[in-house]
Amino acid sequence: MWMFIVADAATFAAVLFAYGYVRVANPDWTRPFAVWPSIVNGVVMTVILLTSSLTMIAAVLAAQAERRAVAVRWLGATMALGAMFAALHLREWIAMIGEGWRLFRNPLGGTPLVGATFFSITGLHLLHVVSGVVVIGVIALGYRKSRFGAGHLETTGLYWHFVDLVWMFVFPLIYLLNVR
Amino acid sequence: MRRYVIVWLGLLGIVALEVLVTLVRPPTGFLLAALLVLAFIEATIALLYFMHLRYERRVFGWSLVLAVVITVVLMDHFWFDAFRLLHQRLTTP
Repeated sequence: MWMFIVADAATFAAVLFAYGYVRVANPDWTRPFAVWPSIVNGVVMTVILLTSSLTMIAAVLAAQAERRAVAVRWLGATMALGAMFAALHLREWIAMIGEGWRLFRNPLGGTPLVGATFFSITGLHLLHVVSGVVVIGVIALGYRKSRFGAGHLETTGLYWHFVDLVWMFVFPLIYLLNVR
Repeated sequence: MRRYVIVWLGLLGIVALEVLVTLVRPPTGFLLAALLVLAFIEATIALLYFMHLRYERRVFGWSLVLAVVITVVLMDHFWFDAFRLLHQRLTTP
């Protein structure tokens, strides 16, 4: 899992650095986010994702203590928080698309790279969140049927914390740096 | 579990600090530097406690640090070109 995390971290680092390059090189970079609702929404999403890391840890600790039912409940809470994060993110995407933002179109007249970088970076992260929710569901089912053990939960937890860690860079660099 | 709750509260505090710094509306260069420093602190705490790097063998942690440093140094080469483009003034034909 650590090898996968290092490789995935390199992928995110590459796209974030590429974003940094075009962000710096474009003097007419558009700042699309108002404090309300975009930043407030982003803060709520951040709190939800951080809390889901805590529930994941609670699941792993319960599994290590052989409390299967409790561990499955915490895994369910983690999935619910992950799904909530994804729903809030999709709602924001839909609102931006409604305002005319596209992968290659900036409705405010600046460089279209704003939409390209926003949708590609947050989309890649969202894909990780949705995949994580599905994987946690599969692991929870297997763990309930005793096909998986505490070690499997711990490995899945590593991935989930990594998704949280990536958001720690995406939120400040993509959202906070582009507040109107 | 208590330790993890404290770490979680600390991470929430860093997020609050990031938002506060942004709302002060400092110059973009300062804001970028401040946000990057806070994000790296946040990520380090998450790695050490949530991802248990603190409890792994020390050599494993240091090999990760080395990989990150090399990657960041290699990726930093193109910033000069980004700043060149930012300040580029095209001559009229």
